[in-house]
Amino acid sequence: MLDKYTCLKKMAARRTDEVIVSTMSVAMPWAELSDGPLDFASVESGMGHAADFAYGLAMARPERRVITLNGDGSTLMCLGTLVTMAQRPLPNFTLVITDNGTYEVTGNQPVPGAGLTDYAAIARGAGLQRVHTIEDEEQFDQMLPLHFEGEGPLVIVWKIERGNEPVPKPALPIHERAHRLRQTLVGTD
Amino acid sequence: MVHARGIIEEFKKQGVTHVVGIPDNGSRGLYEVLWEDPEIEVVLVSREGEAYALASGLYLGGKQPLVLIQNTGFLEAGDGFRGTAYNMQVPLVMLMGYRGYKTMQPDAPRLDTVASFFEPTLKAWDIPYTILHTDDDLPQIAAAFQKVAEISKPAAVLFTEEIT
Repeated sequence: MLDKYTCLKKMAARRTDEVIVSTMSVAMPWAELSDGPLDFASVESGMGHAADFAYGLAMARPERRVITLNGDGSTLMCLGTLVTMAQRPLPNFTLVITDNGTYEVTGNQPVPGAGLTDYAAIARGAGLQRVHTIEDEEQFDQMLPLHFEGEGPLVIVWKIERGNEPVPKPALPIHERAHRLRQTLVGTD
Repeated sequence: MVHARGIIEEFKKQGVTHVVGIPDNGSRGLYEVLWEDPEIEVVLVSREGEAYALASGLYLGGKQPLVLIQNTGFLEAGDGFRGTAYNMQVPLVMLMGYRGYKTMQPDAPRLDTVASFFEPTLKAWDIPYTILHTDDDLPQIAAAFQKVAEISKPAAVLFTEEIT
């Protein structure tokens, strides 16, 4: 099992100019490491819609890598996005699915299929070809560069330990986060 | 009756880069012409909530998307719409098929309930809208783009018959 905080620290140390879209139990831990104009916490934004939102960003900005840090419960809420990704493959897109089998921010209730669902198999079945599962830190260290440099669309499942993150509360309201990101990417509001 | 080529001309005048959505019987004629048009990219999604999220990402990345779905999908997409395009204040135009419009007439044999839910939902969700009935109404598309630019939130254009 992976410790998500360790993984996020390594991601933050490796990250340069990629857009990072985070959500749910990863959003605030990521914000503590990085909360700049290229970071977007997909919070107050409709659970399940971080990956498809980020996919639109990646489609609009093919010159820039977009990495989404999504949860297993969030992935389940919009599984069709994996198919959407497959039918219009984007080389600059990385989807991380943090799999701990729970809705962490509401108190670790189990997600449907906890312990049974193979997200990598679902992604492959959706038609995605570059799919990986990481189970321990040694694997993570080996595959860290892939998150940033591998040809997408990439799906990387992190098997993480259960945690106790509270409901995320970003510093800025969502429309300000959104317009900050647009201004950074496009130069206009 | 509204014709696809007239709608697409309006899209091009507004600089639409991507049409995001799911075809239905009402919009299939428009999708078929769009698929043949190299200037506007069609992005199919698996469920309508995705359309709003993906279109919001496109907009924040500098593109001019438009969402093209049926009213049934709009109802399904509620939280996706609220959480992305609405909350992010995206000036997004959505063109939506008004399934069941004619079944609301008093002499219709059976009401399609999606029609009776549709406009009250648009009003409850604070979404400005207009309705296309014929090609004479096509300037309403430009008016919708002007509206969303003014209010920094989505607005809808509805069509009541199959686009040909």
